[in-house]
Amino acid sequence: MRRLIVSLVLTSFFSFSALAEKPTFTVGWSIYAGWTPYYYMAKSGLMRKWADKYGVTIKVQRFDYAPSLDAFVAKNIDACTMTNMEALDMPSASGVPTTSIIVGDYSNGNDALLVRNGLTLKDLAGKKTLLVQKTVSEYLLDRAMTINGLRDELKKMQLVNTSDSDIATAFLSEKTPLGVVTWKPMVSQLLKQKGVSSLFNSSQIPGEIMDLTVVRTDVLERPDGSGQRFAKALAGAWYEMMAEMSASGPAADKTLASIAEGSQDTLASYREQLSTTKMFFTPKSAVDFSTAPDFKTKMALVRDFCFQHGLLGSNTKSADEVAIRYPDGTVLGKPDRVRLRFDLTYMQLAAQGKL
Amino acid sequence: MSAGFLLIHAKPSRSAVLVLSWFLFAAGILAYLYAASARHRDNPEDRVTPTIAQMAKGMYDAALKPAEEDEAGEEATTLPKRFLGSMLWKDTKASAWRFGVSMALLFPAVILGLHMGLFPYVGAFFLRFVLFFDKIVALSLLPILFIAFGIDELSKIMLIVVGVAPTILLDTFNLTRGVPPEQIVKAFTLGASDFDVAYRVVLKQIFPRVFNSIRLNLKAVVLFLFAGEMIASTDGLAYRIALLRRHMGMDVIIPYVLWVALLLFLVDLSMRRINQWLHPWFREA
Repeated sequence: MRRLIVSLVLTSFFSFSALAEKPTFTVGWSIYAGWTPYYYMAKSGLMRKWADKYGVTIKVQRFDYAPSLDAFVAKNIDACTMTNMEALDMPSASGVPTTSIIVGDYSNGNDALLVRNGLTLKDLAGKKTLLVQKTVSEYLLDRAMTINGLRDELKKMQLVNTSDSDIATAFLSEKTPLGVVTWKPMVSQLLKQKGVSSLFNSSQIPGEIMDLTVVRTDVLERPDGSGQRFAKALAGAWYEMMAEMSASGPAADKTLASIAEGSQDTLASYREQLSTTKMFFTPKSAVDFSTAPDFKTKMALVRDFCFQHGLLGSNTKSADEVAIRYPDGTVLGKPDRVRLRFDLTYMQLAAQGKL
Repeated sequence: MSAGFLLIHAKPSRSAVLVLSWFLFAAGILAYLYAASARHRDNPEDRVTPTIAQMAKGMYDAALKPAEEDEAGEEATTLPKRFLGSMLWKDTKASAWRFGVSMALLFPAVILGLHMGLFPYVGAFFLRFVLFFDKIVALSLLPILFIAFGIDELSKIMLIVVGVAPTILLDTFNLTRGVPPEQIVKAFTLGASDFDVAYRVVLKQIFPRVFNSIRLNLKAVVLFLFAGEMIASTDGLAYRIALLRRHMGMDVIIPYVLWVALLLFLVDLSMRRINQWLHPWFREA
């Protein structure tokens, strides 16, 4: 009898504490002009304000980019910032269904192909080109050559896989003429050097390199609805942040400077990076971008690149096995194998002011 | 005095030794299989912990199919030919070359260490600097290495040499100092020249220990080799691992890591054998 009472008390205690405790979610971000706002959202209390409104607890954690992807794939975090390409080839291709809830920006010149000594695209065959292989850098190079009708030259190029932390010094220390594909702030740093010029940058393929905030689909679909509340809180906080960022005047400058602090950057340098990042400051602009007809063409290009480079996994026999569901409900690939979805719900709610 | 379990005087039987020595291997493999099958039940497409079958297939492809960056030439028919054209062989060759050259470059360090230990002026000139240099974390010097040696093979080899040579140097120095001075005096009284003493008396008897110390630094050599290949390269075992990590190709990464372990074990074993063969009188290690 006594044991029964004890167990009753214990169970009621635990179920009570489970009710009282708010569900906790973690969002991971890494340093990039379009993602550093998360630093400010966490620091300024903006995230907490929205999390409280939706009755959840949101932890914001900074990662290096690659580890953030690993953590997301291992299901250690619930939401993460990543490009459309990595969303497809990391979690989606590893069987972790992923939903993009915020299309934050696209790279509009942040990524670039630079050369020394006035080389042209044609000259690159047989020469060394430094880049982080199998990332958007290689995608950019692939597109640069394709657009200029030099696709066959790609095979003749000598690609050197170079870690992003050392790519600037490695490029500068090489005396021979060569190319490099990298992103800001390295691009800005390299362009300041004598004899370095840009041959191609991501503003020539606008919208193909998108920067997203993604959530695991199983989190979003939790039966208690907490996942959706989490997504609503994220979107609410994000667009309040965007409104603050896009305002003008000293207050906005102060905000931008505090965001820049998140990547140990100065206001001037951060502004310079933003100038080549097409931010979707309003939810409506992000929705319009995601529903534009060429959105699907862009994603299809990225998907084909991933498949050709084996990024969807060596056992994936066809690109259709990692299917993408677009905002209008159409599916690219096998309908029963949807792994990446673009969900506009939360951006639309923000646009309608319903968050 | 009891000869019980876990006591110094215990005498485990042959079969007990056999079972005990393989126990942790079996436990490790079982733990992995358990974790992998649990993850696969949860997500059949999981790539973090591939199953044995997936790894076998990954290794089969790696060992018999050319790397993706290579043009698929005419299809080789025989098994050895296919292996020689494969990704695994290409990467192993590239890494082995770097490894071999840097190991060869470690031997001059032995000679320098010997001279530092024996010749006071050489010691005065080098010792303090080498002691300082030994504490420098070589990886943090990478930008300087790039500027000095370019981004090709030389900078990778220098990274290894800069990282490991000071240790070998100081070890040789200490071993040289450990030779009883009476022996050196004796050799001189028997009419030996300075270089006779250095090479025929001192080096001869410390060499097996120096060789051992190089052997024990194999892991450091490989660590620097991998760091170099991951930072900037076009081929090599660590290059492939770095590339596969970008899409969680653990089905190939795990076999690659085991392959590296096997190669290292073989190098270690052959170095031990060579040492025994060269110095049959040497009984340590």
